[in-house]
Amino acid sequence: MTDQIREQLSALLDGELPRDEMGLLMRRLDKDSELRRTFGSYALIGETLRAPGGRIAAPSFAARVSAAIDEATPIVEKTSTTRRGDAIQASRHVTLWKRPMVRTGLAAGAAAAAVLLFRPDVTPVAEIAATPANTFAMSASPTPAQSQRLASYMVAHSQYSTPMVRRNVLSSLLAADPGITRVSYEMGEAP
Amino acid sequence: MRRAAVCVAACLVAFSVHAAEPAGDDARAWLERMSQALATRNYDGLFTHTTGRQTETMRIVHRVDKGKSLERLVSLDGSGREVVRTSEEVHAYLPDRRVVIVEPRGDEGSLLKALPTPGPKLDRYYDLSVSKGSRLLGREVRVIDVRPRDIYRYGYRLWLDEETAMPLQSIVADGAGNPVEHIRFTQLQVKDKIPARDIEPTVDATGFQWIRTGRTLAAMPQLPTNGGWRPLRVPPGFRLVASRLQPIPGSPMPAQHLIFSDGIAAISIFIEPGAQTGPRPPETASMGSANAYSMSVQGHVVTAIGEVPAATVREIANSVVPVQGSEVPADSPASSTR
Amino acid sequence: MKSREPGDDAVGLPAGTEQSDLELVRRAQQNERGAFDLLVLKYQHKVIKLVARLLRDPTEAEDVAQEAFVKAYRALGSFRGDSAFYTWLYRIAVNTARNSIASRQRRPLDYEAELSESEQNNVEARLKHDDTPEATVLSEEIRVTVNQAIEQLPEDLRTAIVLREVEGLSYEEIAAAMDCPVGTVRSRIFRAREAIDRALKPLLD
Repeated sequence: MTDQIREQLSALLDGELPRDEMGLLMRRLDKDSELRRTFGSYALIGETLRAPGGRIAAPSFAARVSAAIDEATPIVEKTSTTRRGDAIQASRHVTLWKRPMVRTGLAAGAAAAAVLLFRPDVTPVAEIAATPANTFAMSASPTPAQSQRLASYMVAHSQYSTPMVRRNVLSSLLAADPGITRVSYEMGEAP
Repeated sequence: MRRAAVCVAACLVAFSVHAAEPAGDDARAWLERMSQALATRNYDGLFTHTTGRQTETMRIVHRVDKGKSLERLVSLDGSGREVVRTSEEVHAYLPDRRVVIVEPRGDEGSLLKALPTPGPKLDRYYDLSVSKGSRLLGREVRVIDVRPRDIYRYGYRLWLDEETAMPLQSIVADGAGNPVEHIRFTQLQVKDKIPARDIEPTVDATGFQWIRTGRTLAAMPQLPTNGGWRPLRVPPGFRLVASRLQPIPGSPMPAQHLIFSDGIAAISIFIEPGAQTGPRPPETASMGSANAYSMSVQGHVVTAIGEVPAATVREIANSVVPVQGSEVPADSPASSTR
Repeated sequence: MKSREPGDDAVGLPAGTEQSDLELVRRAQQNERGAFDLLVLKYQHKVIKLVARLLRDPTEAEDVAQEAFVKAYRALGSFRGDSAFYTWLYRIAVNTARNSIASRQRRPLDYEAELSESEQNNVEARLKHDDTPEATVLSEEIRVTVNQAIEQLPEDLRTAIVLREVEGLSYEEIAAAMDCPVGTVRSRIFRAREAIDRALKPLLD
């Protein structure tokens, strides 16, 4: 049985595993670190035969990468389309903290108008559905005067933030303007 | 007093040349080290700034000169906008709008003012923790989590370089942990000296409209501390830390500017005398981790803006009222001297 | 069956790699983290080898390689399959190596111009100079162990794995060359890997 699974692994490495066998194998790989090690070893064998010598990764390297990915969650759009207009990709929206301290009662995307009252103790009297954290919205196309006023306010406000937050706020000022269309920067490609 | 201030500033600058003391497991100490590093070190770096829509590369150059913090921030592949903090002013160059917005520096550029310390009650509103992180670009890092205890404020996860406490990466998230903004250095040099020319703007502002606020703050009319307006409700822990006047270009009357802070986040409230046209519907703006909400109140435009969730600024703006019985209402001609 | 020509493959990788990588990338884009982990396992040595060559201090190679993979993960949404996955990953790794932090204590980063394919394949000249003694010894041991294990394989297993890994033939092409069914090819390659893996395991634990 394990032989059969490892044989599938070998075929997977060669790109010769039928697609319908991939799903089960992937799920096994998620759970079995020995299987992952084996896959890495098969890959190393090929590397050694094709381009021997040079530095190689420590056995713990792949796990390190996985941990580093877990630690810093990326911010991805809720939905996106590829340039070819293919079907909408599912978003990857992972929260930073596994156990939120706050019960939020968020309703997806809604901005219900329940009144929120600040109270001296920590729990809010009523909760509202907050607007999604990563949307950029102006209620209407801003006039230049409105944009400038807001920009002035932001600059004035930023002087009272802590240095790091000020940098964040000013970065947002540099980045934000609904009137601008620009190519989004693809990470990994040199400007 | 002045001499003492200069001496302290000089000591701070000298201190920054050596690595600061280790802060161990004390998250608050790490935050203070970080603020100090950002304010007192000379550095030049590239970072990516990501919000839900976009990732942009920016450059930041920071230089300390005669005890003052000078800085230039420029967008490299997006709007081309640039912000320069000189010793007296802040210039925001907006090439897309062909304007330069000029604001006087409120903190007078002093290093001392650039080092706010979180108040002693910080623990009540945020849960702080520190842990060792995976190495980032060859540096040992500590990961500091600043988790808000309520939904009114944002939280932060900061990756600090162990040696210099510079934030190599930071994520702003809401109380539930949903990321809002992500900043990552891809290149950073912490130097002994930064040439003065690296702080100079690179935007060619020929033909741009310069929007200065028109007069210095010293010439502003004096008003009661709260400027005649206040919010009835602010989130727990936020205190009024400053009150000033914000000149409005093209208008003789300034806006009142109230600044509240809980030690980590700051919220500004601007109360501006309204235009002759009637009340406008409320406006919202969301720019990375900064949110703004504007609405009409009794013929004035009230804007709350801060690095807090949108609901918070909305609620604060909604609660702003004129102070009862204040001697001089904000927009009375009698209050201004011309 | 697609016939291979020189320059077809992404930097000298075997046939079928591009397709199987794209499949893994597609799965990773659909939130299957395991698929990305496999891509890491597959290319970790190539990336580290590449990055070590670009950095003045090769001991930083693992940190920079880790950063490159994390970047690639984050940028997965923008990978559209216009190029082979490894070509895309290669560019990210090169850029990451160029951008790593230079602190005051270290000498400034000194990177060499991007390597051409032939330079990249010609490893021997650089190997001795750049690596620490330990790293060199280990990779040398691995090379020796793998070659010895291959020599000891029965001929049909040895032929199968060499045709696959060194010549880059697909299972179908190997089946034609060895005049046997594709299923047999798959099994022989697997058993060859098993035997070599058994020899390697004590080295790497």
